[in-house]
Order: sequence, then C-alpha cells, then structure tokens
Amino acid sequence: MSQSHTSAQKIASLARIELTDEESAKVQSEFDSILEYIHQLDEVEIPDGTEPFFGATESTNAVREDAVVPSFDREEILKNAPDSDGEFYRVPPVL
Amino acid sequence: MNATIDRDSIKFSDAKLIVGLEVHVQLKTDSKLFCGCSTKFGSDPNTQTCPVCTGMPGTLPVLNQKALALSIKTGLALNCEIARYTKWDRKNYFYPDLPKGYQISQFDKPVCGEGFVEVKVPKSDQPSRKIRLERAHLEEDAGKSIHDESGKGGVSRIDLNRTGTPLLEIVTKPNIRSAEEAKAFLTELKQILEYIAVSDCNMQEGSLRCDANVNLHFEIDGETIATPIVEIKNLNSFRAAERAITHESKRQFKQWKKSGESIHDAPKQTRGWDDSAQCTTPQREKEESADYRYFPDPDLIAVIITDEEIETAKNSLGELPASLRTTLQSEYGLNEYDSAVIVSAGRKMVDYFRALADGSGKDGKPNGKMASNWVGQEIMRYLNEHNATIEDYPVSAETLADLLSRIVGGEVDQTRGKEVLAEMLSSGCDVQSAFDKLGIVKVDSGDLDALCQQLIDENPAVIEEIKGGKLKAVGSLIGKARQINPNVNPGVLREAILKIIGI
Amino acid sequence: MSVLDNSIEQLAQQVSSGDVSAAQCVDASIAQIRAQNDSLNVMISDCEDAARERAASIDAKIAAGENAGPLAGVPIAIKDGICTAGHVTTAGSKMLENFAPPYDATIVQRLNDAGAICIGKANLDEFAMGSSTENSFFGVTKNPWSTECVAGGSSGGSAAAVASGIAPASIGSDTGGSIRQPASFCGITGIKPTYGRVSRFGLIAFASSLDQIGPMARSAKDCAILMNVLSGHDVKDSTSARNDVPDFAADCEQDIKRLRLGICRQHFEEGLNEEVKASVEEAIKALESLGAETVEIDLPHTKHAVATYYVVAPCEASSNLSRFDGVRYTSREPAEKLIDMYSQTRKVNFGEEVIRRILLGTYSLSSGYDHELYKKASQVRRLIKNDYDAAFEKVDVIVGPTVPTTAFKIGQHAQDPLAMYLADIYTASANLAGVPGISLPCGFSSDGMPIGLQLQSNMFWESTLLKAAHQYQTQTDWHSKRPQS
Ligand SMILES: [Zn+2]
Repeated sequence: MSQSHTSAQKIASLARIELTDEESAKVQSEFDSILEYIHQLDEVEIPDGTEPFFGATESTNAVREDAVVPSFDREEILKNAPDSDGEFYRVPPVL
Repeated sequence: MNATIDRDSIKFSDAKLIVGLEVHVQLKTDSKLFCGCSTKFGSDPNTQTCPVCTGMPGTLPVLNQKALALSIKTGLALNCEIARYTKWDRKNYFYPDLPKGYQISQFDKPVCGEGFVEVKVPKSDQPSRKIRLERAHLEEDAGKSIHDESGKGGVSRIDLNRTGTPLLEIVTKPNIRSAEEAKAFLTELKQILEYIAVSDCNMQEGSLRCDANVNLHFEIDGETIATPIVEIKNLNSFRAAERAITHESKRQFKQWKKSGESIHDAPKQTRGWDDSAQCTTPQREKEESADYRYFPDPDLIAVIITDEEIETAKNSLGELPASLRTTLQSEYGLNEYDSAVIVSAGRKMVDYFRALADGSGKDGKPNGKMASNWVGQEIMRYLNEHNATIEDYPVSAETLADLLSRIVGGEVDQTRGKEVLAEMLSSGCDVQSAFDKLGIVKVDSGDLDALCQQLIDENPAVIEEIKGGKLKAVGSLIGKARQINPNVNPGVLREAILKIIGI
Repeated sequence: MSVLDNSIEQLAQQVSSGDVSAAQCVDASIAQIRAQNDSLNVMISDCEDAARERAASIDAKIAAGENAGPLAGVPIAIKDGICTAGHVTTAGSKMLENFAPPYDATIVQRLNDAGAICIGKANLDEFAMGSSTENSFFGVTKNPWSTECVAGGSSGGSAAAVASGIAPASIGSDTGGSIRQPASFCGITGIKPTYGRVSRFGLIAFASSLDQIGPMARSAKDCAILMNVLSGHDVKDSTSARNDVPDFAADCEQDIKRLRLGICRQHFEEGLNEEVKASVEEAIKALESLGAETVEIDLPHTKHAVATYYVVAPCEASSNLSRFDGVRYTSREPAEKLIDMYSQTRKVNFGEEVIRRILLGTYSLSSGYDHELYKKASQVRRLIKNDYDAAFEKVDVIVGPTVPTTAFKIGQHAQDPLAMYLADIYTASANLAGVPGISLPCGFSSDGMPIGLQLQSNMFWESTLLKAAHQYQTQTDWHSKRPQS
C-alpha cells in the first residue's frame, strides 16, 4: 500500500493524465485510504480451485457471419473530431 | 562473473545464434474482426470505418466467425494444438491509430497452442528441422499513422481503414539457428498459408509482417552467456529478414566483444531494419517500459471450439506443400529441387503438373520427368514473361498432355514439339490443328522404308563407314533425311536404317 | 392534474385511443422541465424539437388507425450516458460536451419502435461514476423531496425526472447500484435487470461486466411494461442474453403466496439507519401478509462486495475510458506534442472522481504494483456469486434495504470518497454476481425523505421481483406519494 507513495506520478503518466505535484500528493493520500479498505480482500480465504469470475455472463460463442455492412460516411465519422482535414484525423506530431 | 571471461579468445563462429520470429498474418475475410466494415486494401482514407472500429463510446465488438475458422485452419496446418476454450483480452496502450486505447488480442487462452513447421534450408546438406511454434493468436490490427517526414514537426495524419482487420500472430519459439533458416521458415510458412488460402500474404500491402527477436549464446566453461535480446521491426521482405538477422548477429558480437554486456545487464531493445542502409538502427525507447495491463475483455465472451469444427477445418486443408513435395518425388519420380519448384508455384501449378504427367503417361505410369521439364522450362518461362499465373496459361493440361503423348509415341520430336506448343500459344488451336498448320504428318512405314532405301542408295560411302563400325555416321544421314521430309523422327529413322543394312 | 400522472398503461391506452394526443404528452413533459429544471437540474438537455416531431408522427399513425405501440406517446427521460443519434450525449462529462453520436443505443431504438418519445437527456455522475450525481460536469441534480439533498446516483437525473413529474418513466444504468440507489433516494421504483437481459449497445461503458440498463418509474407495473420493451437478445452486444423474455407485465398479476423471502443478517447490521431498518421490517411484514414466507440466509462474502467492486470497476473503467484521448470525438487541449495533448486533454476534460478511478484501475492492472489484486478480486467475485447460488437454492427473493440511509446532504461526502463508496454496500453485490435487483419505496424518514426496499432474485427471475413489488404496491401507497413542488 505504501508503494502508492512512489507510484501516483508513474500511474498518472501510464494513464496519460497530467498531475501537478500537489494533485499527485492528494491522489496518493486518497489512494492510501482506498487501498487500505480494498486490501481487506487479502483476508478473504480463497478455496483451492476457485476460478476468477471475470464477467457477469458465462455464456459462450456469440459470433457473426463474415458479411460486409456498408461503412459510415466519412463525413459522419470525422464530424466529431477536434481536428481533421476531411480525409484524415490530425494529431500533433507523435515524436 | 562475466568480467572474468576472456572475451578476446572468442570468435564469431563460437556464437550460437538464437532467433525467434513473430509473424502477423492478415486473414482473408471480407469484413473486419469485430464490425462489418470491409477489409479491402487501398481505399480512400477513413472510408472503411464505422462507430465500432473508430471506438466510439457505447459501441461493442462482435466476433467474425470466419476469422476464427481461418485461425483454426491455420493452426491445424501448422500442427498446433487447437484450444477448446478461447477468449479475448485487452492490451492497453495509447497510440493515435489505436482508437479504443487498447487492442483486442488474446493473452492466456490463444486459439492455437504449440505447433511446428518442418523446414529445410535450400542448397544445404542439413536435413529438415522442426521449427517449434509457441502459439498463434487472433487479434485486431491498428490503423495507419502518416507522420510528417519533413522534420519540421508537422501534424500526423490518421487513417483507420485498417483498424480492426483480423490478424493472426504466429510466434515461434526461439529455436531458429541461422538467418538462412529464418528465411526458409518464412518461405515455407508463406507457402502453407497460401495453400490453405487463409491470407493473401502480400508483404507490400502488409498482409504478412514479420519481427525477429535475435541474440547470441556463448558456451564458456560450461556456462551459457547470452547477449541482450533485440527485437528487429519493419522486416518487409524475407530477404530483409535474412539480412537483418545476419547484420544484427554480427553487430551483437562486436558489441559484446566491446562491452561484455549480457542479457542480465540490459532489457530487450527494439531496433529497426533500414533496407537502404542495410543495417539495424536503434528505435526510440518508449516513455516507460511496456506495461500493457492485459485483462479479459468484458465486452466479448469466450468461444468453445468443438471436435466437429476442428474436423471440418481439417477436411478443408487439402494436401499441404511438404506432403505434395513428397508425393511428387515418390509418385512422379521428381528430384527434391524439381518438386520444390513446382510446389512453390502453388496448388494450381501442382494440379496442372499432375494432370500433365498423368495424361501423357503410359501403362498407368505418369510421365513425371518429362512433364516436370516442360513445366519448369516452357510453362514457367511463359508465365514469367507474361507475368501470369498458371490459371491464365492458354494451353490446358489435357491439350499439352496430348502433345507430350505424341512426342513419346514418336509422332513428333521434342524440337518440333516446342514449335507445336508455340503455335498453340499464339493461335489458341489444338494439337492436331497445330500439326496441320506446321505440316507435321506421321511418316508411315512405307514412306519411311522408301526414304531409307533412297538414303542408302545415294550415300554408299557413309553406309560403308557404318558397316565398318562407325555408327555415329548415321547422323549425317538423318540430317539429309530431314531435308527431304521434315516430319521424319530421327530416332525412328536411325533404327530403320540400321535394320535395313543389317546391324 | 397532468396527463402524465396516469400509469404508463393508462397513458399509452389513452394515446392509442385518441383520448389524449402524443403532442399533449410532450407539452406536459416540456412544461414540467421548464418548471422544474432550473431548481432541480434534472436534465442536461431536452429533445423538444425531435419529441414534437415524434409526437406528430405518432398522432398521425393513430389517426390513420395504425397501432402506435405499447408505449404510444409516453415521454421518457434517458440517462445521458446512453447514445441518441444526432443528439448530444455527454455522459455528464466535459470530455463529451459536444459529442453527437451517429447512432442510437439499441434500447433507444426499441423505445422508439414501441412508440415512446425521448423527452430529454437526464443528468448523471460523470461516466456514471458516483452515487450522488454531484460528479456531473453539468452540476448536481437536487432531490425533488428536498433540494438540500442529493438525488442519488449515478442515475440521479433519471430518478429525479420521474419523482418530479417530468416523465412517467426514465432509463437509467446500474453498475453498482446506480438505478436502485437513486430510486430509493427519490421515492420511485427502479430495476436493475439480470446482466445481459438488456442490450448495452450504445451505453457509454463505465465497467462493462457490471453495467446494466434498466427502467425507472413510479410503480413496479410501469417498470414491467418497460421491461417488456427493453429486454431481449441484441446481435450487436455479445454479452446480451439469448434467454426467452417473459411477459413481465402479465406476470405482475400473479400472487406471491408461498414466495420464499430470504433475509440476510448482514443487511441489518451496523451502519443501517434505524428508521430505514424499521420501514424495511414493516415492508417484510406486509409481504408476509400477502402469503410470502421468510427464511434466514447467509451471504458471507457480500461484506467484501464494495472492496471487490472498487477493484473490478476501476480496472475496467481505466481501459474503457482510454478512448477519450482527444483524437476522434472528444474535446482536445492544444499541445505541441502528442503525449502532452493526451495528458492535458485527459486532465482538463475528466473530473476529479473519474481521474481517481482511472488511476485506481491503472494501478490495479499495472504489472509493477498490486499485480494480484485484480485476480484476487475476481476470485472473491466468484465467491459472492457462489453465495447467491447457494441462497437461491433456499429462497426465491432476497429482501432488505436498498441503501443504509436516506438521501444525504449535497456536499456531505465531498471530502471522503470512501464514505461515498459505502453507499453501494447493499447494491454492488448484485452487479458482481449478475443477478437482478429492484428498489421500491417502503416509507419515509421523520424528515420526510423516501426509504427504499430492495428485492433481489436469481438470474433471469425479474418476473418474480416485479410480481412481488407490484403485489406490495397493491397493498401500500408509498409509491403514490409525490413531493411538493
Ligand atoms: Zn467498422
């Protein structure tokens, strides 16, 4: 749990969210109390062979046929973009 | 401990090259992996997109059944274990051509488990070897980023047409031992994929892409020293893969001699292959080491693969290249090289060859060697010159088999036979019409006898020579005979003359 | 008396028979938005123009003698985390302030096909993360019973829209209690269906394995009528169930004699407000008087439900919200380099609670830290599900309070996220296990705030929940109480 003291800034960069030092200190202290609460799970005894339950449905095999459905008009797709040239989305340089 | 090793005495030939390949194969489906957009290559940017593949909020993926079927088929052709239970996971990272901020991939339950590909390095004495596969998993492709190359820091442009195209990532174990073997593996893999028709395997269009993990092992005093692993990206041809691995192994050797840095001293690095400079160059390290935060995708449910589905896939495979090469050798009498040439030209070529050899055979025995010569020389040359495939070849296997049968039967010799083929190719006619056009008629035995008698009468000196034991002299008679009648078969004529003069 | 005071069944009949026009329904609903929204902040946007057009076409259909559907003319408020084609869908976030999706959620299509009219988009906690609707970029929704109190959350706007008479029904979504808790706080009835019963296509995901869309209305019967429309398999949602859909409304009419009610000790322990406890116990007696039997049951792992929930939900959320990156449809902060554009855009356009949960989820999934946390939580989740499975061997319905308290004051938990998380203590386990739950009014506190009763049943047994709730509502009138406006 105390690991979070060193991690907030790193986690934030992994999540692509900028945090000031002040904000990251606040996040860290909140993390500490939340994680302390969450770590009550450490005390739960897990019987051998307990499969994790990842989704609230355990049915299987939802598939579709390989059939082409007309795509959307490009205009419609690009309409909500903050920056596009009518053909491409545009983003600041990657490097 | 490494510091105590005397690196100076180690030679490059002492290094054992360790290579593992990751091959991304674009599966041949009409629609994308999780939405109905077309997978067609080369359309205008962002015209093959929809809310699902552009990752708009609230949209959900639904698995394309054919992509899964093609994955199973591929796995079977690569001798992989097929999972009975397979599921999808999210691989999280940010990149502008990855719309959801995660790639739907497979982490711990890939559709294909361990397998192998049997590979023989061409023109080498080494026997074939099994290249072991770790796994093959089904995932979605990312889009395309077009960066400003001017160096002025212009915007990057994003095209999401390719986003969501189904990819099968085939991962080998690190048990490839040379650059030549890597190339041979890729060549064999591509051939298999083409035979089972799961991918176009077009490297220019990116439907087959390859990365290589390379390092060196040294056995020193009973201890294995390994150099840091380097992943080489952007291998856009098999030749590039071969050269890049060769270059990288030499580079790593030099580097190790200089620094002694081992796998424990450095994390995996990424380098790119520069085709024009013919060397690998370091790629910028990411901000932080890869932390993909894999977890099961809660928007998709698992798939159970049944015995019936696996059986159906097995039945759809057809005979695979390795087995076909064996068949061509054992049943058609071809050598290793000739069988490889024909098989590498594709299943249609093999079918053509077999029809040709079977159709021109005698007494139930296929005419393998002759058919192979004609395919390897006449047909391949034509296809190369015309940049065509065997399906486009104007003369059917049956027609050509007719011609070869007549050659075998002595109606026409090989040289004139090729003229017949040329005539059929240019005019599209059948064998008999070509014979007629070229004035080829079978010389009947009466005509043949008369011709022989004429030659004997007109060339007493030559006959004496022959009778004196100089059988070669028959050749000059044959030349004269063909001036009189071009249709005469040299072999048959020779026999007849010798018979008449009693030798 | 407004036309909207009728039950949904009556209203749809009146519209279908021509006694009331769909246009009148829209007028009444829009008038109520105008009257209430300034003080309560229930709706983020209204769909007045589109609603009037829809009403005109429904009225024309009826005039032509055509069937306009089981919800003909019924105005419905839709949580703004659910996509409506061509109409801005914000999810309560600055990030999506201007996002107009080019597609309808499947449930919006189904409602349209049934003749319902979307009247507007209801307020919510940003990306449904919260229990009070205080986390909306568009301001807090106030409780129609007391403007000092929260309406609950995250479907606070949807609950308040029904309680304040803006619409006879609304659509919410429930990830850890986000339909049931605000229903409880606002004195209305709301059901979280079985996971997979209602398509999630078009619901802006918070935590995909927990999210479920459901109806909120004044009565269980109204909810049942909506459930008939919303439920059923959707090819666009791989997790949507292929189970048959019963006639929920018809099933409401069955009695509940010999219905086995499970009472879980853990739901009545410390932390439960005394007045809430008394009302819930009173309600259990009322159910017994209708012929139900009570059985003590044990759900030993549900005490870990909130801890489990706060691992699983943030993990999924951190991934689900990665798509909001300033490239394709969100707001964007200008920056020289891509990486700065990402981190500025996400910092500026996400609210505090959303950032907190993204970071918590990133932390839990990241390999370097609490690597085992996600797996451990998923195993505990299995144990919680096993608890339910065992309980439903013995009982048909589990009964208890929806929330330990009545609606709390606005700002009360502002400084303590953990205290806020504990508002989900009785509701989160149903989402983890996938079972359905309903909240219905069962009394009022001494200061006049509504108290909610929660019923939970086994997977796909919504009929039993709706039947029990409906039968209870034939004997009581808590659900007919209206706040003074
Ligand atoms: Zn698409």
